[in-house]
Amino acid sequence: MNVADEITLRVSEIQRFCMHDGPGVRTTVFLKGCPMRCLWCHNSEMQKTEKELLFFKNKCIGCRLCASCKNGVHTFKYGHKIDREKCLLCGECEKNCPSSALLICGRDMSIDEIIREVKKDAAFYGQTGGVTLSGGEPFAQPGVTELLKRLKAEGINTAVETCGYYDVTDAVPYTDLFLWDIKDTDEARHKKNTGCRNKPVIDDLFAADKAGAKIRLRCILVNGVNTDETHYKNVAALMKKLRNCVGADILPYHAYGGSKAELTGREDNGDKALIPTEEQINRFKEMIKN
Amino acid sequence: MGFASVNGIERPVRLCEKTRAYAEESLGHKYGLDAKKTPCVSLDGITGFESFSPVQKYDAAIRAIAENAPLRICDGELISGAATLGAAISHVVPAFYNGAAVYMSNSHLTADFFSIVKDGIDSIRKKAEQAYRKYKGTDKEEFAKSCINCLNSFDIWHKRYLKELYNIGYTANYENLLTVPYKPAKTFYQAVQSVWFAFAFMRLCGNWPGIGRLDLLLGPYLQNDLQNGVITLDFAREILAHFFIKGCEWICGDCGSGDAQHYQNLVISGVDENGCDVTNEVTYLILDIIEELGISDFPTTVRLNKNSGEKLIKRVAEVMRFGGGTLAVYNEDKVIESMTKYGYELTEARRFANDGCWEVQVPGKTNFSYVPYDFLQLLQKKTLKSYDESVFFDSFDTMYNAYLSDIRGLLEGLLSDVKTNLMKCEDGGEWVWKPNIPCTVISLFEGGCVEKGRSYLEGGPVYNVISPHIGGLADTVNSLYAIKKLVFDDKKIGFSDFMRVLRENWDNDEALRQYALNKYVYYGNDEDEPDLLCARFLSDFADICKELDNRSGYRFPGGVSTFGRQLEWSHQRLACPYGRKSGEVLAANASPTPGSDKEGATAIIKSYCKNPLVKLPVGAALDVKLLPSSVKGEEGLDALCSLLRGFVLLGGFFMQPDVADAEILRKAQKNPGEYQNLSVRVSGWNARFVTLNKEWQDMVIEQNECCR
Ligand code: SF4
Ligand code: SF4
Repeated sequence: MNVADEITLRVSEIQRFCMHDGPGVRTTVFLKGCPMRCLWCHNSEMQKTEKELLFFKNKCIGCRLCASCKNGVHTFKYGHKIDREKCLLCGECEKNCPSSALLICGRDMSIDEIIREVKKDAAFYGQTGGVTLSGGEPFAQPGVTELLKRLKAEGINTAVETCGYYDVTDAVPYTDLFLWDIKDTDEARHKKNTGCRNKPVIDDLFAADKAGAKIRLRCILVNGVNTDETHYKNVAALMKKLRNCVGADILPYHAYGGSKAELTGREDNGDKALIPTEEQINRFKEMIKN
Repeated sequence: MGFASVNGIERPVRLCEKTRAYAEESLGHKYGLDAKKTPCVSLDGITGFESFSPVQKYDAAIRAIAENAPLRICDGELISGAATLGAAISHVVPAFYNGAAVYMSNSHLTADFFSIVKDGIDSIRKKAEQAYRKYKGTDKEEFAKSCINCLNSFDIWHKRYLKELYNIGYTANYENLLTVPYKPAKTFYQAVQSVWFAFAFMRLCGNWPGIGRLDLLLGPYLQNDLQNGVITLDFAREILAHFFIKGCEWICGDCGSGDAQHYQNLVISGVDENGCDVTNEVTYLILDIIEELGISDFPTTVRLNKNSGEKLIKRVAEVMRFGGGTLAVYNEDKVIESMTKYGYELTEARRFANDGCWEVQVPGKTNFSYVPYDFLQLLQKKTLKSYDESVFFDSFDTMYNAYLSDIRGLLEGLLSDVKTNLMKCEDGGEWVWKPNIPCTVISLFEGGCVEKGRSYLEGGPVYNVISPHIGGLADTVNSLYAIKKLVFDDKKIGFSDFMRVLRENWDNDEALRQYALNKYVYYGNDEDEPDLLCARFLSDFADICKELDNRSGYRFPGGVSTFGRQLEWSHQRLACPYGRKSGEVLAANASPTPGSDKEGATAIIKSYCKNPLVKLPVGAALDVKLLPSSVKGEEGLDALCSLLRGFVLLGGFFMQPDVADAEILRKAQKNPGEYQNLSVRVSGWNARFVTLNKEWQDMVIEQNECCR
């Protein structure tokens, strides 16, 4: 048994035909678990490392087949209540639910399994496309570098979307492109809004750069949070200092995360006030262009 | 001035202002409405008309058209000739007797423009005269005579244009028409005029011919002219643009079904009969024009193969991105393979074009028609007896075989209809064609007819094809699959109980319906079990077609299509075993059932390519819908190129990628179930359009709306 067979990764979803997670046609592997808790998170069901029971309310037809859960997770006294504390994630209700309104998010897959899945679209990858690891934070899982190594060995182009909180130098030789989040450049705000410090993100970024990583910055823009000139300037300065930075994308916050937060019973964080204005977006663009 | 696009990118401007203004007029219905004012010529004054034979009546009609149809010469037009009679837009010969059309006209064919341009109409006249001498005194004499009569009528119309062009001083047009289409074209400009003039005459007489491989035909002329310095590429583009603009002269804006094209196909790129790539400057000029003017009236298909160049694919993707489905692609490797396996010579197969939509044929020598069937209806009404209590099958295979034998019965019925209606059996046991309605004009331009002394509809062309088409493929396969899983494999419900549930339109078992909808994966998701059932079914269908082949003088190659009929069918079909309720949408062509395709475009293409497409030489069409946002920017362009390459690599046949616009998104918002595969992909997070909340959906729609 080789090492790749032993390692499993916790995958929340594998999506084919993703066009904006790197060049060409890509298959994106979403990995579960992230060290950060961003205020604006769009994939909140991928934050926790642990498996989670998702409930798609709009799909539920109220048949109550899930009430047969032995742990009493699903109750129907005052509407459909889900007591996730009691859930052992046995998967029974997921299996029984006729409308697929219940889903256990997080499936442990071996590297071989993942490779088999992503190779389904190999005919479409061509010269440019390939696989993007996303999440969650891919590097929160120890097997990721091995996965990247195996993907490269299969001749598949690799990209990783990372929040930058881990030292990734080991993965540099196997990663064709890093999509590197710069959420904020203000230490205090970073800590407050993501739950993590900013310094490691920047240190890791330069370490990766030094190791020869090809990097594209991804800058979330959240109105009233990081829409100040100093931040723009800092990002522009960062770009200048990096040796292998191939550009930056601005990702304006949108209120979409809210509808996904419901899946896990989290509070809706969709706040329209956080959507940046055209002006802010353009100003930022202007700054990083030079 | 701007021509619509769905992707927010402004269409490039290469043509001169005057040509663009001409395009705007033509697309804006000016000439279509003009034609409606003179729908037809009248035959009422012709003495003894009633006592004429059918062919004599036809000849008189063509002559009246040639003599009396209004001429149209547009301000500054670079090429001349126009189909100015409005009734032609309704597919009849626009010559009326007692207020009604006398004859229907012909379509679903690509005329032989190669002979017209290269040899000239004089050579067709020579053949007609030979035929007349040869068949004098036989039952073919009348047709041969009719060929000469129709060529004489063509002459009359040609002379009228010459005179008028001379009078108004359109010297270039006049001079070109002194040579073409009678004599071989010498220059690119003449070649374009030659194609157009002959095309316009066929259309003037009511026919809807396809054009076929225009770049193969015109490319060498242009290359020659460029080498000799007698033309610039820019002027060549203007001339060709006028060809396109004139091709929109039947748009009148009142087509209820939105069918604004009249089978005037173009097929570009690909190999010639020797296997050499034909891609040339004309290929790119055609793409330039479609890109700039957004003209979708010439359904244009690009023949790609494993060796298609990067430059071509990128250009095709760029044009496709503007949406509207103006460009489709063949994987010609597969098309040619399927045609040769079927029995066409390799050189003939390599010449392929289509009937005006996408059904493959050897252009200029094929009589083609197709017979659409709703196979879902057959399954529901016949095999499953409308889910009556009396229907019972004890295994999947007995049900499947019963269905196949119903299909065989249906197709044998078609064959016997053909035999009784179109053919008669001679004493020696040979099948010959019965007399059909006259159609001499089209017969002149279809290889085989003049020589054989037989019309297009009476066995004249070299190849005579009737193609039975499966409609409702995915719905049928998914129905079979759902019964297999629910009843026989997983034993969720007994057969008779399931028939009851379906009879009641699922009204009394929503949980089972949800189970059927959600717990099984259907055709179109790159999942082997359902995909291979589809493949098996198509293979069986093709085998039945093969059994009926050439048993009547007709070839019977199968195909897969719905051509929008699924909209009409959807109201007539009963509930489906995979969870569809009566009235809900059905699948188009060889595409998945709407809403059942959850894995996106690449999975759809993969499922489709698992089918035995090589056994369907007429073709199976795949529609793939893409959002403008997913093909945006350099990345999106790259991705679209990869999609096209993947399609070829996996052995597809015909694909029509459509970049969807806001209209479609709005529909998706109203009927999310039918649009589950529409994805919105934005950096860093992922979402299917239908899973977005309303606000976000509105925003995406707005974004798309800005592009209109
Ligand atoms: S089983 Fe599914 S559909 Fe039925 S009540 Fe539970 S969640 Fe809703
Ligand atoms: S996963 Fe198991 S324990 Fe959790 S709610 Fe469902 S049936 Fe109960």
